[in-house]
Amino acid sequence: MALQGGSELPEAAGQRLGGGAWSSGLSVADFAACSSMGLRPVALVQGFCAMQWGWYTMRPGLGGGRWGGMGGPGPGAGGPGGVGGGGGPAPYAAAAGSRGYDESWPCPHGIASLEHQWGGNYEQAWVETAWAEGFGSAYRRMVEEAEQAGAHGIIDVVDDASYLAEQSVVEFHVTGTAVAVEDHEGDVPSLWSTYLAGQRLAKLFEAGLAPVSVAAGLASVVMWPNCQTEFLLGGGGGSMWVRSYEGEIVQATNAEMAARDLVRSAVSAQLGSDILHGARFSVSRRAVGGGGHVIECTLRGTRVRRFKDFDPLPPPTPTVRLS
Amino acid sequence: VTQANDLPEATSHRLEELEHGLFTSDLSVNEFLLVKHAGFHPVGFVMGSSIYHIGIQTRRWGKSQELTKLTEAMYNARELAMTRMEEEADELGADGVVGVRLDVNYYEWGRDAAEFIAMGTAVKAEDGTSYRNNLGKPFTSDLSGQDFWTLMQTGHRPQALVMGTCVFHIAHRGLAQTLGTVGQNVELPNFTQALYEARELAMTRMQDEANRLGATGIVGVRLEEKSHQWGSHTIEFLALGTGVTKGTGEPSLPVPTTIISLDH
Repeated sequence: MALQGGSELPEAAGQRLGGGAWSSGLSVADFAACSSMGLRPVALVQGFCAMQWGWYTMRPGLGGGRWGGMGGPGPGAGGPGGVGGGGGPAPYAAAAGSRGYDESWPCPHGIASLEHQWGGNYEQAWVETAWAEGFGSAYRRMVEEAEQAGAHGIIDVVDDASYLAEQSVVEFHVTGTAVAVEDHEGDVPSLWSTYLAGQRLAKLFEAGLAPVSVAAGLASVVMWPNCQTEFLLGGGGGSMWVRSYEGEIVQATNAEMAARDLVRSAVSAQLGSDILHGARFSVSRRAVGGGGHVIECTLRGTRVRRFKDFDPLPPPTPTVRLS
Repeated sequence: VTQANDLPEATSHRLEELEHGLFTSDLSVNEFLLVKHAGFHPVGFVMGSSIYHIGIQTRRWGKSQELTKLTEAMYNARELAMTRMEEEADELGADGVVGVRLDVNYYEWGRDAAEFIAMGTAVKAEDGTSYRNNLGKPFTSDLSGQDFWTLMQTGHRPQALVMGTCVFHIAHRGLAQTLGTVGQNVELPNFTQALYEARELAMTRMQDEANRLGATGIVGVRLEEKSHQWGSHTIEFLALGTGVTKGTGEPSLPVPTTIISLDH
């Protein structure tokens, strides 16, 4: 990056944040709600990070001749505006290991052959690390812009990831509106951020909770089905036995559950004693070469902390909207 | 139409008809009600157009750079369309234009040419107060009728739709660079920097426009990215928003009420 005084931001950012009219990505309704809370928009702030996604392959040790190449991860796992994963023309055996979740699924028939292959579910830690690095760099740059603009917090944070022209390059975008607390004197402990804005943020404050920071994570689990799972997922070639089968496909369920559990644990680790507000899961699934499936799950929310007791809200008024 | 302020004859004829009391507008019924509630009356649907030939500019395969000729072309074409729309609003004696939309269309018959269109609904204050902007022109804003009402209640008033654009060529990676990172999950600083800088330039230009107008802030900023017909490595970054100033009136927003919507 073109450094300016030790900063990671481009020079144009420094000039833009230098003064003059403030800018904000807030809708007018959100702007009005923030004004009524005593929050003044300072600048639209943003951070970006273009990442190359390396190729990776399956966990060594699984049998069945399934060394098909796998595409890079789908950025944002179907998050707001996210796009699907990119396929890869050729495998690349990156030196990658797995950590955490790792479950083998032997052939239930006890036969070893090309048709009776073993399967396995496992976590792709390197994908999670790369996502965290891309998201983290973009987020850090946005925070740096907000600090330069003299803000106390960032509201209405939106994060997104999309492929650039070169298919193996993913760009992470994180944007938000930096705000300052009106008539605030003295230091602010640290800059806070939240996905919320406007009425939802006002209601959060009303409920006695203050935002600390956005919290987000991604978990990636790959499932190589064993012979039984593959048979059931593929419809069993139309056999009557499979069509009349009623039961859970346990390996697939476990992979889906694992992705959610892993991302929940990852985000929980960021929270400390705080609460995650407005948690949103988004899950993307895609097939990869050799019969495998990748399940990517992101979890986003705002880390909040209680600062006062909950004051009961006034009784709601029923309305019928005419729009 | 060769100058920004030359309107076709059909326009003058249409606007003359509007001066006799009939108005046209692309506001929805709810928007119409809220614009009226804010103290404004729609006076006519206004638009401006410019068909612009977009030239070519050589770019270096391996160098990230702004394509200034293309930036200027995209900027000028939109300015021409906007100015013609303002001209129409001016003819109607309007105080401003709300719900402005800026579109770019390409036609098969015009290779390298694009039509830039600006359109919106001209409005006039019912109490005779002038709401023209600091330059004495009708204000322009891409806010909907609802947002316009809300903005007025906060004690702010729109000045103009402000924009900044930047057409940027993102360098391709060379073979050595590609091979050097193959199989790795790493940041590509040259890509990050190019895209970052392009967006910042667009936003800086938008803010400069707002500053020239004497606006104190910009609401509803959005950043649009399009490759148009230039290929995937050349992107236009367009920042758009409504420049606003604090009016003399006090905010008169109603106290928020918790509601349960009975909609499905």
